[in-house]
Amino acid sequence: MNITLVAGPPGIGKTTWINQFLSTSKQPLFYLCPAAGTEAVDRLRVGYHFPEVTVVEDTQAAALLMNLPDQAQIYIELGFHLDLAALPFNQLPCRKVAIVPPELAQLTEQSEWHDWADELVAGNKIQVPHPNCFPETRRMPLTGQVFDPPSLDELLTEITGGAYGQVIRLKGIFEMPDGQAFDIDFVEGLPGIEYTELKLPRSLKGRPTRPSSLEVVGYDFQQKTMAEALGVSCLSDELIAQYQRQYRQQYKTTDLTNNAEENVA
Amino acid sequence: MKLAVISCIHGNAEALDAVLADIDTQRAEEIYCLGDLVGYGPYPNEVVEKIRSLAIPSCQGCWDEDIVDGLNACECSYPSQLAEYRGRLAHEWTDREIHPEVREYLATLPLTLKKDNLCFVHGSPNSQHEYLLPSMDGFAALERVLSADADVLFCGHTHVPYERKLENAALSVKVGTAESGDRAQQLQEQQFQVPLKRVINAGSVGEPRHGRPNATYVIYNTDTAEVTFREVTYNYEKTCQAIVEKGLPPIFAWRLAKGMEFAERADDPSHVCER
Repeated sequence: MNITLVAGPPGIGKTTWINQFLSTSKQPLFYLCPAAGTEAVDRLRVGYHFPEVTVVEDTQAAALLMNLPDQAQIYIELGFHLDLAALPFNQLPCRKVAIVPPELAQLTEQSEWHDWADELVAGNKIQVPHPNCFPETRRMPLTGQVFDPPSLDELLTEITGGAYGQVIRLKGIFEMPDGQAFDIDFVEGLPGIEYTELKLPRSLKGRPTRPSSLEVVGYDFQQKTMAEALGVSCLSDELIAQYQRQYRQQYKTTDLTNNAEENVA
Repeated sequence: MKLAVISCIHGNAEALDAVLADIDTQRAEEIYCLGDLVGYGPYPNEVVEKIRSLAIPSCQGCWDEDIVDGLNACECSYPSQLAEYRGRLAHEWTDREIHPEVREYLATLPLTLKKDNLCFVHGSPNSQHEYLLPSMDGFAALERVLSADADVLFCGHTHVPYERKLENAALSVKVGTAESGDRAQQLQEQQFQVPLKRVINAGSVGEPRHGRPNATYVIYNTDTAEVTFREVTYNYEKTCQAIVEKGLPPIFAWRLAKGMEFAERADDPSHVCER
């Protein structure tokens, strides 16, 4: 079966579970995150971490699924907001995997994941949101924005600490003044905020054009206040230009010293 | 004799009242204040009036100076663009709210206070804006105490209380003299032994940065040189409510409740303030 559907609560580790196959497979690979929008952080992350994987748009999904090459594998990550029982993909010959907290994976109790999945996998040890208290998702597109690093650190501490509403999940792609981009991840109940540097060409000529975005999942968000604080943490055109001049010079010098080739976009 | 040293009240009248009550229980005979009476908090006028009415000697803090002279800090004042933005909002709010006579009073505050071998400053003897961090180079810290002509230097500004002992400091100097008719230099070595010096940071009454909203201050016994750090609980929720009601950014209330300080923070112990 070359179609794998993956479901689970927010922060359980769906993308992490899928990533293990994306990093090892020799077959043509596709990734779809239905109804998430083109700037969904999971889509961006898979695209940035695994450039050999084709990230499929919603509009291309039906055609691809009808004509999926024999050797190809497609992983479909189902957002927690989707009704599993009503998915059009359920009609397809596919493997249905639910990532659930370890205590749920070991029991034969009832949940929408138990009813739906062929296979249960133990994920992160997190608190599953109560079905009557469905969390909201807020997405803030950040393409073209470059962050002041200490401001971003402070702001992420505030956001994940609950200053703008209760956050159970945060994920984002952020551009830095040295031209690098970071994948940032937080799950309530797991330790700390994880920063992963993306292996992308440095963006040191004007505002970056590659997509970046922030998503928070939780309750009672003060989105306007949070968006204002994000805006204040972004660098102006003048400061971006100033930093980029400085870093271009620095990397040029480093390259000469190390006789290494720096990929500057 | 017991002295109480308080600092960095930042317009938090609730915290100040709680600290003054605690000082009473400690039977301190004198109180010294290291400045930053205003800024960030919702009651700048009330705090200044209380300090004046009790005739508590106070130094001028960096926020007090900013309200008198306007913002012109060097880069050490704010660790980030976000903190700078918030600091400016707090300054503008305080600048609008402050009464003329309070501003005049803040302008009269001295940069240092002395009592026998004790010196009281807000940041350092060099500047109200300079941070004497506990990790500061030992020689630089000793220089600050010596420049104040004191044995004990009380400071605030970092909002984190600490005591630093500078002991066993030996300074060695070689002085060269040229003899007449002979260019060979005779080097004469001189040794100076510096007696124990101390830097004591009083923490912050109104804007703590130790992960709890509680106020901190210090009691110093001039007879025994004993230092006692006090942490005082108070109704911080009342201050948080006033922050929001008076139109200050609500994030200040959240940060106060978490003991995270509002915006300013020093990170670089080697930085020399250029203000």
